[in-house]
Amino acid sequence: MIRILLADDHTLVRRGVRLILEQEPDLTVVAEAADGAEAVERVRDTEVDLVVLDIAMPRMTGLQAAAEIARRRTPPRILMLSMHDNEQYFFGALKAGASGYVLKSVADEDLVGACRAAMRGETFLYPGAESTLVRDYLDRLRRGERVPASVLTAREDQVIKLIAEGRSSREIARELHIAPKTVEGHRANILGKLGMRDRVELTRYAIRAGLIEP
Amino acid sequence: MRLPSHLPLFWTIFLLNGVVLVVAVLLLLFSPARVSSDAVPSEILVIGIGLVVMLLTDALLIRWALAPLHRLIARLEDIARLEPTELPEEGSGPVLGIARSVNGLLDRLAEERRTGDARALAAQEAERHRIAQELHDEVGQSLTVVLLGLKQLESQAPAALVPDLAAVRESARAGLDDVRRVARRLRPGVLEDLGLASALAALATDFADHSGASVRRSFAPGLPPLSPEAEVVVYRVAQEALTNAARHADASGVELSLQKVGAHVVLEVRDDGRGFTGLEEGSGLMGMRERAALVRAELAVISRPRRGTTVRLRVPVTEEVPA
Repeated sequence: MIRILLADDHTLVRRGVRLILEQEPDLTVVAEAADGAEAVERVRDTEVDLVVLDIAMPRMTGLQAAAEIARRRTPPRILMLSMHDNEQYFFGALKAGASGYVLKSVADEDLVGACRAAMRGETFLYPGAESTLVRDYLDRLRRGERVPASVLTAREDQVIKLIAEGRSSREIARELHIAPKTVEGHRANILGKLGMRDRVELTRYAIRAGLIEP
Repeated sequence: MRLPSHLPLFWTIFLLNGVVLVVAVLLLLFSPARVSSDAVPSEILVIGIGLVVMLLTDALLIRWALAPLHRLIARLEDIARLEPTELPEEGSGPVLGIARSVNGLLDRLAEERRTGDARALAAQEAERHRIAQELHDEVGQSLTVVLLGLKQLESQAPAALVPDLAAVRESARAGLDDVRRVARRLRPGVLEDLGLASALAALATDFADHSGASVRRSFAPGLPPLSPEAEVVVYRVAQEALTNAARHADASGVELSLQKVGAHVVLEVRDDGRGFTGLEEGSGLMGMRERAALVRAELAVISRPRRGTTVRLRVPVTEEVPA
């Protein structure tokens, strides 16, 4: 059973998120907080496996709370929930110690998957950040810069170009006449090969690529 | 020859007339010309000619004395019609005085216009900020509640209703995306939350997403902090320059850099696009200049046909005086 702390300053949003999470048999919300400071306190007095933090909260923002929580000796996994479709927030969240970033506009589809990915120790990339990273990688490759050594198969090469164009898995599947499940597999492999599955690796890559400041 | 500069207008004209009259009197006294008690025709002729010469001399002298005043009036008309510039502080007496007061007035007008513009822009930014915040915090949250609620309902609804519920849910999602996009255009939250470099990086990414051109970013580490107003100016100028590059220049590559040069932070947006000739001071460029003037920054736009365009903004770093 995954024990979750949920922090959002909007009561109704919190309730909506809770209902979505608790539909899953392996997820349970054990505590709620209305701002960042309260979230930090709850983590102190409640045992949780995963913290879901809204970015924009009063008193202490989600990013500040994440940094605070990540400093604990055995920190829970952290997921950010955000209105901002902007990879700078995503990288900010990674730097603060979060392992995933879920847009509120796709929370109904992605949140449960992101919770499970976080518990598996994987980073959850929201689609915009993924295509930004991949496009940047291809740009650097084209300019002949040194990039993390990786050998992509011919198929993965096709897939990575379509990801860079911002296509969804379903669109890529249609384009290449393969099953969406297969595309997801390629996607995961590509991200793994480029070191974008791991939070620390990914942060390091983004700093090297000049996508964020160290 | 010039008249002494401190002479009032009254004395200038009085003196010139006096000179003419004194010359006439001296001529009458010390030349052989005399007027008898009964004026003879020859005397009338001489005096008539003398009078005409006197009047002409007087007219010429006064005209000469007043010429700077007429030049001043012509310049003032130019100023009223065209761009306000400084008046040359020349001429004598009253003219010099007028030029000085008009210059003082122009200075004050320019200063007032600058502060007025600054206030208007600050008010505009504040209002945008407020609207963006409300969109995010209120409309955005409500739509999120709708989205999540619909998802929850779908899991319990009879199968026949599910496609309709899913369609409504997609509309809620589209609404949420719209709100986010509008809020973001109004006010880049990233500037406040994560700082200038992050905000510029996000602009670069947006630009690459929408134009297909590649962007190279280089932001020098450890830049001196700018005032929040200056940061907004840098951000808006970069935004405008990138918009121009995407819309008009047909560029395939753009370089966006932020460096410290001497006591300035320098933003440079360089594209390899079409460029333009002459000074096409479109509203975009005007807006950038106005914003730059607000924080006493200098804006330079260098463009040549087929050689691309470079927009360079130099923002003075204000030394923080430790309290």
